[in-house]
Amino acid sequence: MEVSYQWLIELTGVTWSVEEMARRLTLCGTACEGITPFARHMDRVVVGEVCAVAPIAGADKLRRATVAIGAETLDLVCGAPNVAAGQKVPVALLGAKLAGEVEVRRATIRGVESLGMICSERELGLSDDHSGIMVLEPEMPVGAPLAEALDAADYRMTFELTPNRPDSMSAIGIARDIAALARVRLRRPAVRLRETAEKAADVISVRLDDPAACPRYAARVIRNVTLGRSPWWIRRRLMMSGVRPINNVVDVTNLVMLECGHPLHAFDLDRFGSREVVVRRAREGERFTTLDGKTHVCDPQVLLITNGAVGVAAAGVMGGENSEVAETTRNILLEAAYFDPPTIRKSRRALATQSESSQRFEKGVDPNGIEYAIDRAAALLADLGGGEVLAGMVDAYPRRIDPKAIALRPRRCNDVLGTDLTAAQMKEILEGLEFAVEDGDPLRVTVPTFRPDVEREIDLIEEVVRILGFDRVEDARSTIGPLFTPLHFEDTFKDQVRQVLTGAGFDEVLSHGLADSRLADLAAPELPQLRLVSTASAELNIMRNSMILSAVPILGHNVARRNVDLRIFEIGKVYFPPTPAGEWIEDERILLAVTGDTPHTWREKPRPHDFYDVKAGLERLAEHFHWPALEFVPQAVSFLEPGASFRLRVRETEIGAIGQLSVKLARQADIKQAVWLAEVATGPLLPLSSRVAAYEPLPIYPAAPRDLALVVDETVPAGDIVGAIRTAAGELAEDVSIFDLYTGKQIEAGKKSIAVAISYRSKERSLSSEEVEAAQQKVVAAVKKLFNAEVRDK
Amino acid sequence: MTLPDDIARLEQEAKKRIGSADSLDLLNELRIEYLGRKGGITAILKGLGQLPPDERKAVGAAANRARAALEQWLAEAAGRLEGAGPRGTIDPTLPGTGQYVGAVHVINQVMGDICRTFYGMGFETAQGPDVETDYYNFEALNFPPDHPARDMQDTLFVEGGRLLRTHTTPVQARVLETRRPPIKCITPGRTFRNEAISTRSHVAFHQVDGFLVDEGVTLADLKGALVAFCRAFYGPDIKLKFRPSFFPFTEPSAEVDISCILCGGTGCQLCKFSGWLEILGCGMIDPNVLTKAGIDSEKYTGYAFGMGVERQALLKYRINDIRLFFNNDIRFLRQFR
Repeated sequence: MEVSYQWLIELTGVTWSVEEMARRLTLCGTACEGITPFARHMDRVVVGEVCAVAPIAGADKLRRATVAIGAETLDLVCGAPNVAAGQKVPVALLGAKLAGEVEVRRATIRGVESLGMICSERELGLSDDHSGIMVLEPEMPVGAPLAEALDAADYRMTFELTPNRPDSMSAIGIARDIAALARVRLRRPAVRLRETAEKAADVISVRLDDPAACPRYAARVIRNVTLGRSPWWIRRRLMMSGVRPINNVVDVTNLVMLECGHPLHAFDLDRFGSREVVVRRAREGERFTTLDGKTHVCDPQVLLITNGAVGVAAAGVMGGENSEVAETTRNILLEAAYFDPPTIRKSRRALATQSESSQRFEKGVDPNGIEYAIDRAAALLADLGGGEVLAGMVDAYPRRIDPKAIALRPRRCNDVLGTDLTAAQMKEILEGLEFAVEDGDPLRVTVPTFRPDVEREIDLIEEVVRILGFDRVEDARSTIGPLFTPLHFEDTFKDQVRQVLTGAGFDEVLSHGLADSRLADLAAPELPQLRLVSTASAELNIMRNSMILSAVPILGHNVARRNVDLRIFEIGKVYFPPTPAGEWIEDERILLAVTGDTPHTWREKPRPHDFYDVKAGLERLAEHFHWPALEFVPQAVSFLEPGASFRLRVRETEIGAIGQLSVKLARQADIKQAVWLAEVATGPLLPLSSRVAAYEPLPIYPAAPRDLALVVDETVPAGDIVGAIRTAAGELAEDVSIFDLYTGKQIEAGKKSIAVAISYRSKERSLSSEEVEAAQQKVVAAVKKLFNAEVRDK
Repeated sequence: MTLPDDIARLEQEAKKRIGSADSLDLLNELRIEYLGRKGGITAILKGLGQLPPDERKAVGAAANRARAALEQWLAEAAGRLEGAGPRGTIDPTLPGTGQYVGAVHVINQVMGDICRTFYGMGFETAQGPDVETDYYNFEALNFPPDHPARDMQDTLFVEGGRLLRTHTTPVQARVLETRRPPIKCITPGRTFRNEAISTRSHVAFHQVDGFLVDEGVTLADLKGALVAFCRAFYGPDIKLKFRPSFFPFTEPSAEVDISCILCGGTGCQLCKFSGWLEILGCGMIDPNVLTKAGIDSEKYTGYAFGMGVERQALLKYRINDIRLFFNNDIRFLRQFR
């Protein structure tokens, strides 16, 4: 919404600068987002008078205009079709900087030297009209600076209004806030209306077929209007608000709408087609052509103003072509109505059109502001167009909409705001906003019907603090609320995972959770997909049902940018459609992925990342959270490469999968290198997680270390060997660890050499060498028996 | 020749000789010559007592400075000579070895910073689902049935009748329904909008909303809490501006600007020469929201606020493209180690 600063000054009489006005309005919730000087492009532009217009040889459209700008006369080349002798016009002199970065320079066109330029409204930054030059009022003094002649010492103030404030969609609405802030009276323009003896009711009648959709419809008749151009003061105000001047009749309806927020419509009474206004729903398939020339096929969502037979306007949205005010119009039927806001919203949507009118009607105009709006417009039409206003307003208003009365408890107001205001202060603020307030406790407040948003006591409290200013509420210096709030383990769990994994050399990535169903079809065809009903992009049409769906594009994005050595993790959710029981499941997961090589340092050569780098990340987490042993069950997983694919289990519960990303999926993201990854559900792990370590006294007696080198079949899992050794050695084996693994030329094909370090120790005594030897023999016997191991001498 | 000139000359000479010394023995000799009991500097210090009082102070200070300088040069030279010996094979310019440490994603860092600030102010965390019902996302929060946010154009809906939450305030509605005051919670999490992906908008972003419900909670408490948060998070000199605004679930409502963190309010590119940065929205919880959750809105009042995490990260690091956060280019991520 854009309004002239001078207009607001005129309506309030305040003496604030434009910056002050913008600042104070913003601080009361009527946000001013921009201030544009109206005369921004009028430096070195003066009023000129066209003395003569002559053709230029060899040019079709260009003419030579001789223009007086005071004592001097200039020859200017002009291409506008409307230039004519006798006109007053804006003349930009050399060096003038016009809108659109145009600077006026000396130019010779077809042999004619042009020392300036006659301007259009667009070139002056006044409107977007560039159909011809701007023609000024005849009484404007030749040679005067244009800014002075146009009374353009003004600013266009741009407001960003909140949707709850339909009342502020007008100059008076904004001025009302100014008046309340400045504690002055709003100066509504007075309306003096002279009516003829003939009554409007004898000429026109109104019938409401759907009073819920149109609770009030009022009309006036104005005869013998002379159509013409509006005076500059009206055109100026329209331009300031971004509305294009058309003719005095249309301009008056627009001016009144901008002034008091009530949209009006003027019909050509002689083209109306009847003498009865019937407001009804459109019929299914009914065709109607709006004045922008578009033909709509309507349905009953659309509310129509009709002449009893056919539509003449889409109620509250746009007039019809058939009854539009045109150059021949003499007699006017002026409409001022109140339409039900949701009806207009639906109607406007069904028509796929909106207008300044519909924007106001759908938020709610003042049903009782109709008299002022229609009288103000009628009086202006009489003044400017010489029209005769027929007596009376035809008013169909079957059920009056009365102002609401609300009680305001001053104490409650202070309790909510934390203030110490008196009832009188509250009353003063509300009266400043034109609420009627009756003294007492509570205050009885009558809310004017232009404030449909104010319905409850809290709404009044908001009005009080809005005008008082939030800065007048003192900031509390102590805290309030519960004495203790817990820090939940679930909250710190994720932070701990981040600490552990970044410490283990993984970088954290973050995705939005939306994914491509085609990738999901490949990665996890067995999992149901939660589809989006509508989405901006075809590639993001489901919520991910596996972390893989985000990881693959992220890896692809990096590899494509030659970031090929990666160790990443993500903590996030996966989503599923509701179960048959209607349960919606969101699962928290941790994803780990590695690809490319390990870092190359001066001491360590790089090697390709592999399975064990991913496993290491999980092991760091398992150590940190004291998880029970992770089990790796070889099993096909749809997103993993066959043969390098394991399900992860903890205590019989499946928690995820680990292995090599299937080559097929990697190819989807143009990744040609091996990717190893794991996806783990945190749900089952949370209850198994603990940061309480088990303390054991430090050992008193010495340990006896023994090594054991075995050759076994390649397929024997190292973990089984370690387990067997622990079992065989019993309590004496304090620690069993693998310190070497070898396959290759030195060993028979299909076999591997594995070296194990065993630390024997007792908590009760020093072990004798015989005891240790006996235990070691048991171990050797066990591995020979269980794994057919060949024990190598060391 | 004055004494200070003598000291300066002595210092220059010593510096040269220490610098060119090629053995530890020679260094030791130089130490004795200058700093020993009969050394040059020592002699000057010993002779101070015979100077007129007005010279004594200046000469003493110069001599002490020279002694400290010489000691440092001697120590450096000794280090140089020792390093050249048989044990001097350490090249301290080689990088240290060990594990590379990864980076927490910048959004999670900023979100963590915000949350920890609120933990310090006595807030706890509450969580809720990303896929929400219309009830918790809108209706329980007093959105009218025809509010534009409920449109398919602004909100992402999923099959089965739910939607991707457009803010984290639905968690407030869930908590209010299940717990009784006093409640003091923040609700950090991911939110979604049906928007085209550009430098300024994305389908998803993160929010930290928060609220307090108790007896006697006022707008003054809200202002006090937000002033405390902003000063803790952005700096002790930050000023706040509350502009009345409109949110369906709070009344009165306001948007909060802070004085520009770059220029302090004088106007710059970051604040578009306004001196202010818009960073959060807030208000007193609308009584309808409390009533819908079964809380007596006459007895209890509450405040609520909310802020976008990306917005704070963009401001803090002056990042100009929101897409960088979800692109996860490792070179971007590692800048925030």
